[in-house]
Amino acid sequence: MTVLQEPVQAAVWQALNHYAYMDAVFLAERLYAEVGSEEALYLLATCYFRSGKAYKAYRLLKTHTCSTPQCRYLLAKCCVDLSKLAEGEQVLTGGVLNKQKSQDDIITEFGDSASFTLSLLGHIYCKTDRVAKGSECFQKSLNLNPFLWSPFQSLCHLGEKLDPDQVFRLSSLHIPVAPPPPISPAQNPSHRLDTALMETPQDTLELNRLNLESSNGKLTSDSTVSYIDSSLISPDPCSLLANTVSMGSTGSLLGKPNKPKSGRSLLGGPAALSPLTPSFGILALDPSPGDPGYLQNYSGSLDAQQTAPSKKSVSRIGPSKSVFGQSGNGREVLPIPFSQSQGSAPHSSTSPQVLSPTLVAPPNIQPRRSTRLFTSASSTAKENSKKLKMKFPTKIPNRKTKCKAAKTANSNLNESLDILKLDSSMNDSKGLSTPGYQSITLQRAATDMVLYMLRELGRGYQALCCYNCQEAISILSSVPAHHYNTGWVLTHIGRAYFELAEYTQAERVFSEVRRIEAYRVEGMEIYSTTLWHLQKDVALSALSKDLTDMDRLCPQAWCVAGNCFSLQQEHDIAIKFFQRAIQVDPGFAYAYTLLGHEFALTEELDRALACFRNAIRVNNRHYNAWYGLGMIYYKQEKFSLAEIHFKKALSINPQSSVMLCHIGVVQHALKKSDSALETLNRAIGIDPKNPLCKFHRASILFANDKYKAALQELEELKQIVPKESLVYFLIGKVYKKLGQTHLALMNFSWAMDLDPKGANNQIKEAIDKRYLPEDEEPVTEDFLYDSAADVEESSMTDADDSQLHTAESDDVL
Amino acid sequence: MATPSKTPPGADPKQLERTGTVREIGSQAVWSLSSCKPGFGVDQLRDDNLETYWQSDGSQPHLVNIQFRRKTTVKMLCIYADYKSDESYTPSKISVRVGNNFHNLQEVRVRTYTGPTSHIYPPKNSPIRTFMIQVAVLANHQNGRDTHMRQIKIYTPVEESSIGKFPRCTTVDFMMYRTIR
Repeated sequence: MTVLQEPVQAAVWQALNHYAYMDAVFLAERLYAEVGSEEALYLLATCYFRSGKAYKAYRLLKTHTCSTPQCRYLLAKCCVDLSKLAEGEQVLTGGVLNKQKSQDDIITEFGDSASFTLSLLGHIYCKTDRVAKGSECFQKSLNLNPFLWSPFQSLCHLGEKLDPDQVFRLSSLHIPVAPPPPISPAQNPSHRLDTALMETPQDTLELNRLNLESSNGKLTSDSTVSYIDSSLISPDPCSLLANTVSMGSTGSLLGKPNKPKSGRSLLGGPAALSPLTPSFGILALDPSPGDPGYLQNYSGSLDAQQTAPSKKSVSRIGPSKSVFGQSGNGREVLPIPFSQSQGSAPHSSTSPQVLSPTLVAPPNIQPRRSTRLFTSASSTAKENSKKLKMKFPTKIPNRKTKCKAAKTANSNLNESLDILKLDSSMNDSKGLSTPGYQSITLQRAATDMVLYMLRELGRGYQALCCYNCQEAISILSSVPAHHYNTGWVLTHIGRAYFELAEYTQAERVFSEVRRIEAYRVEGMEIYSTTLWHLQKDVALSALSKDLTDMDRLCPQAWCVAGNCFSLQQEHDIAIKFFQRAIQVDPGFAYAYTLLGHEFALTEELDRALACFRNAIRVNNRHYNAWYGLGMIYYKQEKFSLAEIHFKKALSINPQSSVMLCHIGVVQHALKKSDSALETLNRAIGIDPKNPLCKFHRASILFANDKYKAALQELEELKQIVPKESLVYFLIGKVYKKLGQTHLALMNFSWAMDLDPKGANNQIKEAIDKRYLPEDEEPVTEDFLYDSAADVEESSMTDADDSQLHTAESDDVL
Repeated sequence: MATPSKTPPGADPKQLERTGTVREIGSQAVWSLSSCKPGFGVDQLRDDNLETYWQSDGSQPHLVNIQFRRKTTVKMLCIYADYKSDESYTPSKISVRVGNNFHNLQEVRVRTYTGPTSHIYPPKNSPIRTFMIQVAVLANHQNGRDTHMRQIKIYTPVEESSIGKFPRCTTVDFMMYRTIR
């Protein structure tokens, strides 16, 4: 029966690979009916799941026994997707009632997919409020597979302080006990079969192709498989390093840890330019002479300069050096890459790390196969890097000349050239690089690049989650240009500006995101809030229309729509849209927060409280919701409660000057004016551009009768925000207290000029209460009654003004 | 979003709300009528649609009672009636009474209806705090018996007290920092 299965399985995988789900499902159903094995069951369930019908996969797997790890993993995934968390957990760990497996058991049981299993389990734990266990699972998952971003992201969201440098690195767990090349053929078939089911369809196809192509099929397949296997990321760097060390002059290179190198530099890239610009792409794969296909994209390197984790670079150099197996032919390669780099824009043609392994014919074939391996489009991350790699087939002979040419063009290349020469000389002396070895080094270099990128982004993301926004911005801005100009990086930079309350900057960055990736919805809710703050209603309504047209099922689109209507003061409609966002995704905390704000604006404080609490239930570190609660309590004049909640929000986001400002006001309301002033000073220290801090400081000083200081503060504020009526209003009040009535009146009239409508009753009352001793009659409020038009308010103002002017004219200024 | 299809210019129900100075709070109240013709009741009076109307079906004075759950600040009452289409059904004399309950109402305003939209302000233009408002139609044009009223809205002043007891800021620069959203 095994004989019968393979072609059908291959056909199913191929159909899946081409997203022809109906075909895949049909075939898989027939296969399962025919064979009824667990493999076939898993295949059928996979087809269902991939075609978007998780419930089908779930029911299928439930009704049939599934004992293999793959089946159990898929069943657990279906459970989680269908929100059956308890069941999912039971599938993975044996449940609450039975004896629970420890995480180590899980690791041994699930083997290669342990990292994903643990990630899923962590997700379940976090959703069911067992955060400690969840984070433990995430940590373990990252240990097993440092290429997974979502556990890292989840850990950051939980507030854990991870060290991205430690997380995103290959540890001994990943280094397979790689047999030095040539690889034993015996390993391959079994390994292949085991992994065939688990890997993406590409594998079988690739393997087939590879087998067809070369006599060394087994070698390739093994290296393929070993590369594909996520938990066995790369061949043993230690062994490679050892090899390289044994190559003599390697030691000297290894001994120069501070040389900024990138893999690119090995290729003769400008070493000083971007020591470690992540270039997962390039592996020189086709070194056959005369092949002009060297693509080396230095755009990233040309643009970005970074300091390399020198250690990594050194280690990367190690294996790659060994790769430079070519004897020193002319390396014409470099100029081409430069020109190409100039020309090529898309970030996919990433800066390469060209490692050309080949020496002689059989090795040539080897990399080519690897190229094709890498070519195969696949959804796995590793294969993404593979894909990047394949873009840059290159040849070593060319490289040298290119290096030389580039040297003239760019003096930065000197170092790299030295290295290259060393490499080539080393390699010349070696004559090493059996095919498998070369591919291993290729893989190693590529993974190093990926990990470097992950580390950088991880550091930036971590900083952002701890609200070290300045640092996050600087880290994220220093990634290479082709990565910088992507939606993810720019969105997070925009978010960092948003958290710093630099809304204009944030808006600029977000509009760039929209320009680059119009399909991106993650982060658009922050953009909409930015526009809300800036009161750019046209842009906001355009964004809202765009997003709701594009994707009606994402909560961000409805949040944007709600913000749009909230800006138009149509709060009922905004409420409706935010409720829709919650309906679409009940796990989206920000929708609850925004809904709470809307309820607060419509004075439905109880419902607002409930909404904010919901937001906190979903995400404990959502400081906006804590702030919202504080604000509601402030409105209800429960000042101590308000202070507690504001402080909690501040503990999550310590750099927010707006938060500090609010705390200051609350403390003042609690009669703790000194601490209030201190808090406001802190706020101004953090963000001197925040005018409200100064305003509140001035008002507190005014309340404490420190008129001179208040006036000084307000004068400064006048310079910063000359058109704000509140400032003049407060100045007027201060002058009134100081008895300088004419100045007070002057300022009041300015305030009213700037704000003719609005809640001006207070200003009018302030003018009212003031009295000028002898002469003029108190300013009467000759307000109009029911006129049919809306003119009354302006005419009212006129009447008032005329009174004021009368008063003023009487007074000698 | 619920703008009626053929709104006469200047009579957009949401217009006032957009200024941000007032908020419509009719949804927080219980509405009742002294009488109505089936299909022309409270729903048609409160549906944001100027095409539908309330038609009374009893003896004068016709009453609209608005009762709040709690004492509410009312800044303004907005009544929309249309003489051109309603003619003798259009109210001509409207009286507004406020109080705690039905037995406690005091008249605060008597207005002669002029023009399509009537904005009724409380005396002295200061907002009134009350539990209940009663709008009484005392007389119609051309001495009609029953009355048509197309829309009634109640507005409360918006207190911009997100922080501090200050009136609203006017500039975007200030408002940006006013709140964390």
